Amino acid sequence: MQPEVLFTVFSIPITQSIFFTWIILLILAVASFVFTRNLKTIPTGTQHIVELIVDGIDSLVVKHLGENGRVYTPFIITVALFVFTANIIGLVPGCESPTQDLSVTFTLALIVLIVAHVNEIKVKGLGAYIKGYFSPYWIMFPLNVIGELSKVLSHSFRLYGNIFGGAVILNILYMFVPYVVPIPIMLWFGVFMGAIQAFVFTLLALTYIQIRLE
Amino acid sequence: MLEIAIIIAAIAIGSGIALLAGAGVAIAEGYVAGKAVEGMARNPEASDTLRTTMILGQVISESTGVYSLAVSLLLIFTIAVPLFNKLMELLG
Repeated sequence: MQPEVLFTVFSIPITQSIFFTWIILLILAVASFVFTRNLKTIPTGTQHIVELIVDGIDSLVVKHLGENGRVYTPFIITVALFVFTANIIGLVPGCESPTQDLSVTFTLALIVLIVAHVNEIKVKGLGAYIKGYFSPYWIMFPLNVIGELSKVLSHSFRLYGNIFGGAVILNILYMFVPYVVPIPIMLWFGVFMGAIQAFVFTLLALTYIQIRLE
Repeated sequence: MLEIAIIIAAIAIGSGIALLAGAGVAIAEGYVAGKAVEGMARNPEASDTLRTTMILGQVISESTGVYSLAVSLLLIFTIAVPLFNKLMELLG
């Protein structure tokens, strides 16, 4: 369960998940740079795929948060692409998904929580935000706080449990049948479950931001 | 030495029992999918909305199953495996 330390930089241990997070950041940065050169009004080639991703997530954001919520589209696209790439990279031999580390998924869920709360303060104002903890009665205060914290827990454990469980099952399978047979199961746990979990993580992030506004 | 062996056996049984929560989750998710199919058959135009809501509902009811999976994995990898290595050391 302890993350594997690959090497140390200035006595800071660099674990496997940090290392593969850097690789994913590099992949995403280079891909964003390369695919958005020479954009045309009539799309050609890879521009179709880029427009599909941006349009799809943008319409999802507008459906949940309304026109004013459009400022969150870049954030939501970043979360979706990062989680998706992190889930998929586990299929490459020698690579480990950073999302099978609880610290990574917990950090992502914490970021979503902070965005949701700051957004609520910005929209409703600080007074209404604090008052929200004491509604409908002041005695509900502990329940409201626990409810907020359990959101982070379930949000992070869902992604972590699914990806880590899939990785454990695949590793057991590799021990028994190392060749050919694992391929369809790798497709199921890696590509299909990875895509579904990335979609679900994004959808829940949107829902958590939306729920704080009601 | 016997104590360590008993602890490992208890952890193995306990993590197996924790996974029984999967049965309830499976029933719940199947029910949600069945109801969604009923709705889609009655009103095919609403398929897109229904599919998103179905996945969201299934995922939220899945969290108890994932909790039990996390509990059993934590039991095995943080307690049972170090104890097992220690037992092997003692046995030589």
